[in-house]
Amino acid sequence: MQRYLLGLLLTATLFPASYQAWAHHAFSAEFDAKKPVTLRGNVTKVEWINPHAWIHLAVVHDDGHTTDWMVEGGTPNTLLRAGVNKNTLPIGSEIVVRGYQSKDLTCKPACKANGRDIVFSDGRKVFMGSSGTGAPKDGLDPRGR
Amino acid sequence: MKALILPLLLLSSLATAQTWQTPRLPWGDPDLQGTWTTATITALERMDGLGESLVMSEELVRKLEQREAGFSAQIDNIAEGDLPAGQVVGGYNTAWLDPGTRFLRVKGEPRSSIIVDPENGKVPYTITGWANFWWGIIKTQKRNNPEEQLLGDRCVVGFGSTGGPPMLPVLYNSNYQFVQTPGQVIILVEMNHAVRTIRIDAQPLPEQIRPWLGDSIGHWEGDTLVVETSQFHPQQSMRGAIKHQLYMGLNSKVTERFTRIGDHEIHYEFTVEDDKIYRQPWRGELTFLPSKGQIYEYACHEGNYGMTGILAGEREQGVNGIRWVFDLIVNPPEEITHEQLGPQRFSRKP
Repeated sequence: MQRYLLGLLLTATLFPASYQAWAHHAFSAEFDAKKPVTLRGNVTKVEWINPHAWIHLAVVHDDGHTTDWMVEGGTPNTLLRAGVNKNTLPIGSEIVVRGYQSKDLTCKPACKANGRDIVFSDGRKVFMGSSGTGAPKDGLDPRGR
Repeated sequence: MKALILPLLLLSSLATAQTWQTPRLPWGDPDLQGTWTTATITALERMDGLGESLVMSEELVRKLEQREAGFSAQIDNIAEGDLPAGQVVGGYNTAWLDPGTRFLRVKGEPRSSIIVDPENGKVPYTITGWANFWWGIIKTQKRNNPEEQLLGDRCVVGFGSTGGPPMLPVLYNSNYQFVQTPGQVIILVEMNHAVRTIRIDAQPLPEQIRPWLGDSIGHWEGDTLVVETSQFHPQQSMRGAIKHQLYMGLNSKVTERFTRIGDHEIHYEFTVEDDKIYRQPWRGELTFLPSKGQIYEYACHEGNYGMTGILAGEREQGVNGIRWVFDLIVNPPEEITHEQLGPQRFSRKP
């Protein structure tokens, strides 16, 4: 009972928010959930590196000046298994990225955000996640064979 | 119709069981080699809403797997326009992740937790173990220097207990390659490209040597590889990860049993003992299934921009010190809000 009460006390003090199963461990450390961004621009470089791929794009503003952004994606290992490779996202493609800006606002060498959702400018998804039918990403679903 | 199919299925599985023989290597050891995965939506501990029972009904499994797919679809299909500010909508699209879409099945039986003992499916922490667990999580929320971050963030070993032992799944890259020689079983852990070397019938390392992933000594009991591991690295006690986080003692002892039970299946059991950290020895079971494709190098250091991002973000946002405690309270990260850290583990009898 003592243990339970101690736990209850800690619980009530420390965590009013709910658990969200899909967010990444370090998301809140690196990115600011209060700063959503929507970026439209052309891909200038893609770094297919571990632990995360980074997609660089040049965002053109209304007055004509551009800002360099780099957005964090998934791990190349997972992307490759999902059928994504370096031809999927050619340099120069126009994309729209939705994500959250990094807590680090220095914008060096480029402004950073996580690339939560990435679509081509015509609306096609660059990377397909779940199809809503339980995307067979673990190789166990007979539909995936 | 169903009445006809079921006996037929049973018969065919009986026939398979009779004819299937453990494959062996030229020197006689059972062959565990191959690339395997443990990706599953079943968590280490039994989460709320999964009932009291370890074994789940097929109906419940179907319902919950569909619900999971629905969650994924929601996450991937947020309405057009800017993302909502200050709301947790999932930091990542599911295209970025690979946590599995199915509940764990052990010898065909769907499971609600990896833990099989104690019955409540929770790690039986003592107050000391639980306090260490909490402190392990909280102190990684300080973002002052790289040494304070989780081992996964630091690219030292993978998140959680992916390299283990015990080897548990994580959000992606839950893949392993087994390679055997007459005196060793080598397990390449994709996350973070760590290698376990299990020395067969060998002497333990001198006790002051504490390698990453511990010192593993193996022996064969019939067709089962039994591995005993101790001498864990002092920094590997806190195994932070979503869904499968775990606190292990410096002197915990892990016994694992690997048995190949089919061409496409390794049955994996483990027991963790440490009377300071746990009220009783606890046990878990997993199934290794063939992974999709080969293992890729996960050279996490080559572009770990996340680390500079975390540290720069902290410096940008303010003064270190008491601020992180304040921030923890007003804006707790999900590692801390996770039900594994809640008191419910003590509210039921183990």
